[in-house]
Amino acid sequence: MEVLKIEGLTKIFGSGRLEVRALEDVSLSVAAGDLVALLGPSGSGKTTMLLCSSLILEPTQGKIVFDGQTIFQKNGWSGGVDIRRLRREKMGFIFQSHNLIPFLTARQNVLFPLSLVGLKGETAQHRVMELLDYMEIADRADYLPPLLSGGEQQRVAIARALANNPRLILADEPTASLDTGRGKKVMELLKKIAKENQSTVIVVTHDVRMIEGFDYVYHLKDGRLNQTH
Amino acid sequence: MDLAVYDLKLHKGRFIATIIGVGLLFTIVLAMNGLYRGNIHEGLATIQATNPDLWVVERYRGGPFNETSTMPEFYHYSIKAVPGVEQASPFIFYTVERQIRDQSRHFSIIGYEVFGGLGGPQKIHAGRNIQQAHYEMVAQEKLGVRLGDKVPLGLHTYTVVGLTREAVSPDGEPIVYLSLPDAQEVLFQKDNEELRNQRERLSRSLTRQSSLTPQTAEKLLPGLQPDTHIINAVLVRLRPGADRAEVARMIKKWLFFSVYTTEEETQLMLKGRLAGMTKQLLLFRTLLLIVSVVIISLVIYTFTMEKIRSIAVMKLIGAPNWVIVRMVMEQSMLLTVSAFLFGLILIHNTYHLFPKTILLVPGDDLVVFIVAVIGGILASILGLSQALKTQPAMALGGQ
Repeated sequence: MEVLKIEGLTKIFGSGRLEVRALEDVSLSVAAGDLVALLGPSGSGKTTMLLCSSLILEPTQGKIVFDGQTIFQKNGWSGGVDIRRLRREKMGFIFQSHNLIPFLTARQNVLFPLSLVGLKGETAQHRVMELLDYMEIADRADYLPPLLSGGEQQRVAIARALANNPRLILADEPTASLDTGRGKKVMELLKKIAKENQSTVIVVTHDVRMIEGFDYVYHLKDGRLNQTH
Repeated sequence: MDLAVYDLKLHKGRFIATIIGVGLLFTIVLAMNGLYRGNIHEGLATIQATNPDLWVVERYRGGPFNETSTMPEFYHYSIKAVPGVEQASPFIFYTVERQIRDQSRHFSIIGYEVFGGLGGPQKIHAGRNIQQAHYEMVAQEKLGVRLGDKVPLGLHTYTVVGLTREAVSPDGEPIVYLSLPDAQEVLFQKDNEELRNQRERLSRSLTRQSSLTPQTAEKLLPGLQPDTHIINAVLVRLRPGADRAEVARMIKKWLFFSVYTTEEETQLMLKGRLAGMTKQLLLFRTLLLIVSVVIISLVIYTFTMEKIRSIAVMKLIGAPNWVIVRMVMEQSMLLTVSAFLFGLILIHNTYHLFPKTILLVPGDDLVVFIVAVIGGILASILGLSQALKTQPAMALGGQ
């Protein structure tokens, strides 16, 4: 089943002489468990694509269907859709600079998205430890982010992204702040998650060395998307 | 999940420093409330302790406390003769600065008829009331004297026979009670050198008149000496059933004095001497509360701006706005309430160290607390507006 379907997506910033067409008639369809890489140089529209896919940025034209529900059509968000709720319940995010909340411990960072969907007490704590265990970082559960290494922080960030069993995981340059070895480990982890959890993973990256074994590879250039694998 | 508390735990040094800073401002606000209440209390203490049915003072004057009033002592006989008056007592009140126990002290003197007259001390805390016509005094214990102490005032020495606690002047200074003639003597008595000089000046002035011989001028001198039988007010007690307004009207009409009830005398003080201080303190309190709110506002704004990327992450992963609003508001409230409690505890443990009377009233504390909470809510608006404006997209990209 398709988790995310994008049809004829166009995003234009500004108007007149200052008009910038960040995305031009982009179409993409990804199914559950797919591992997708989005490659492209700086300014190619990768971040715009990610923002539109995560329902943060409103496209100018096109259609977005997420988990069988039409979210955006022609030139407006569909009425009655709680986009923030969709993001907290069905999406997970991994960032270039980990973006852990600095005043929360690793455990609390993973607990946070669970608390947003109302999961509390023992069940929530059990789920947190299960995820930290899965990421092999349970022994650092009560450490604040600044006390963790870059790789450890990224693993906590992945655990947080997985907390609510998301249908779609969007990763923005997840290996950019890691050395090659740690970066590859993170990518292996994402592959494992896609297969074991049947979550769709879209990774935005500019590093072709990191996308070995991905199901689909797309290239963005001047706002246009081409599938290369 | 209490995000506000977790964040403050990480920044507890700054949080505590801010609580102490803002708490000290609240201490000053609460102290000023107490000072205001204390001033009102002291300003009215003598009026309310004396509490005659009528105060008779010099015509068109608001005396004896709010404005100077002088009248010849013998008028109390005329006032006593007014129908409805049971008792009319001369009363003198003035402020002096004298050496007490080798220290310069500012205090007020009340002179009254010690044998049954009105206006004397109401409660003697230690010792007894004045029982002799001369050279005994009752003093407020803040003056720093003890029973049996000999205190020189003017040409004579007075023995402390009693101590009071309540008697303070409208300025908050201790009061000393003397018999009327003693009080007049302390006020008007001049030393011998000054008396000789005064006599000489008068004599020369009279001998310049061509119609007077030096012998005649010499004979006139005693009659021209200044009168020291001056008082400031006459305190009146009415006969049971007497019409207060009618008695007052008669005294005003036939004796040409101003007459006030104790309630009117109280209002004269509140609207006159105490009004300026009330406005001043209100202005100071308002300014300090505004400063407190501005400080809290800046601190909360800084706290929020430091978390702006975390707020963007929270929004991106789907946190509803109320989670962010709660975090910012809770920090503001924790800061405000903690600072208020710090201020409250501090002033309740130090008010007795202030030189002026600080009278703390729970109702005033509650009002400051409510204003502080409203201020805390207002203070969080700046931080909140930034937090709510934060775009989730800010979470993407590098640091």
